[in-house]
Amino acid sequence: MPQTAVEKVLAAKSGRSSVKPGDVVSPDPDFIMIHDGVVMGAKRELDSLGITRLATPDKVLMVTDHDVIYGSARAAERGAFNRQAAKAWGVKNFYDVGRGGHGHIFPMESGILLPGMFYFDNDRHATNAGAIGAFGFRIGTEITRVLATGTNWVMVPKTVRLTLKGRLQPGVHARDIGFHFAAMLKQGGLSADLDYRVLEYAGDLEQFDLAARAALCSTPTEIRAYGVFVPPSEAILEHARRHAQKPFTPVYADADAQYDADLVLDVSRLEPQVSLPGSVENAVDISRVEGTAIDHAFIGSCGSGMWEDMVTAANILKGRRLAPNVRLFVAPGSEATNRRLAAEGLLGTFIEAGAVMLPPGCGPCNDAVIGPVHSGEVSISTATNNNAGRFGARDAKLYLGSPATVAASAVAGKIADARKL
Amino acid sequence: MGSEFQWILKGRCYKLGHDVWHAGGVVPNRIIVGRHFDPKDIIPHLFEETDPGFHTRCKPGDIIVTGRNFGMGPKMNGYIAMQALGLGLVCESMPFLAYRAAIGCGLRVMTDCVNVLEMCETGDELEVNFRDGFFINHTKDIRREYPPIPDALMEIVELGGNAGWLKRWQENRGAGQTA
Repeated sequence: MPQTAVEKVLAAKSGRSSVKPGDVVSPDPDFIMIHDGVVMGAKRELDSLGITRLATPDKVLMVTDHDVIYGSARAAERGAFNRQAAKAWGVKNFYDVGRGGHGHIFPMESGILLPGMFYFDNDRHATNAGAIGAFGFRIGTEITRVLATGTNWVMVPKTVRLTLKGRLQPGVHARDIGFHFAAMLKQGGLSADLDYRVLEYAGDLEQFDLAARAALCSTPTEIRAYGVFVPPSEAILEHARRHAQKPFTPVYADADAQYDADLVLDVSRLEPQVSLPGSVENAVDISRVEGTAIDHAFIGSCGSGMWEDMVTAANILKGRRLAPNVRLFVAPGSEATNRRLAAEGLLGTFIEAGAVMLPPGCGPCNDAVIGPVHSGEVSISTATNNNAGRFGARDAKLYLGSPATVAASAVAGKIADARKL
Repeated sequence: MGSEFQWILKGRCYKLGHDVWHAGGVVPNRIIVGRHFDPKDIIPHLFEETDPGFHTRCKPGDIIVTGRNFGMGPKMNGYIAMQALGLGLVCESMPFLAYRAAIGCGLRVMTDCVNVLEMCETGDELEVNFRDGFFINHTKDIRREYPPIPDALMEIVELGGNAGWLKRWQENRGAGQTA
């Protein structure tokens, strides 16, 4: 039976020759991820049931990325609890403060997450796994069952295929595609239901490096896609082989696989996009909002925190200073990227421009635990979404753009097109 | 336990429309943000904003029948109350995470029941078999087949939801575990 890529992954991990949408399977994951914000709840729930031993502690990755530098006593208490939990559970793969970075970035960079893999994750941005050709499944608070038993039920999702046609113009970024795609769905230019669907990309994908592929995974997640899959190119496979910590088998859809919807998007004439406050779906060409004054800017998040994103921003900031009224926060996606920024001089570029470097992790994108906005302020960022309150004050105006757009805007003090600097 | 579990509910229909948000439409948002998960704290507030006092009028076995997109916003509080009250839920569609949350609360729920809203009115005498996928309206003499709860999920519902399932799993694992 012909299958989509994610159907093949789920079949392989469930010991079946094939699966189809609606089947309920219990896949054997390559690993299990839990982040710092939910360890306490999961540990207490399991303890209350007398479950103190995990099924597969060697498969568990605990990651501190949501609240990294403890801006409150409560956060410090949580950090201490998490360290005790890791010890009690025997979790050796504990990427605590300053050890790994963003859980949806560093495993792809460092060969932990590889093409064809499947893993469970408490967090919905597990969709980033699609960037390397893997499938991360968001299980929410039911991560407890995965920790206790090693698996949980997964209903095989339907898959929507999105074929990208053409090459992006210089200065246009993969994040712009996601913003535009969301707007097209909202406005009816494209039609598909993404609820509990996997979005599988096809078409002219060779142009996208790993960071661009992570960007392609970001926005669909905000409009309810449960998974994203980008078939790995030879360059992605080469990256994976170079870093792989274990063997892997890449997976691709069959040519005659069945899709719930089959969409085509020409990106060859796409302009840089900005999502207006309230939703990723409110994307417009940047020319519509150029000149809007800003107070706050942020570059990072699981959608735009990789090395190439940092280089894009640094190239714009080099030799320039932030506008006097703007504060810019930058959160690299991983400790490895941070070290490379230092080694190659880009850290200096950011600092000399006047940016504030945050520790690798989610930055303000997690409940504004760090670098929030005040009531009435205007922000532009590469956060995953701009829903009201994402950065704190609900009446702040939150715009989204690519790393290039955000860096250019921070320099200009207003929303600016990086191509014109 | 499985043999005793009531997969068939008989009761009155309570009909709702399309696009009901969990926050506001099922329980007030303050119940969600207040992180209330104890049924006794939630029950008085079930459908409070649209039908105050619902909990005093419903009876075990009653069936909530809804249109498309029931329970938007992936929350579980309302399903905890429905399960504790012995109610069933039949929907034309639910966002998947709403369905997963309902199953995780041990609620007898069927979704993807096409046009079920046209099959009933509030107050009709219904009989719903969640194991085999039958929907019968005795008042209107209508019988339909709909997708039942998948076999693989029946045990979760029988055991009262995820917590009950994990508790049983732990008991079955025996006394082998040491702290």
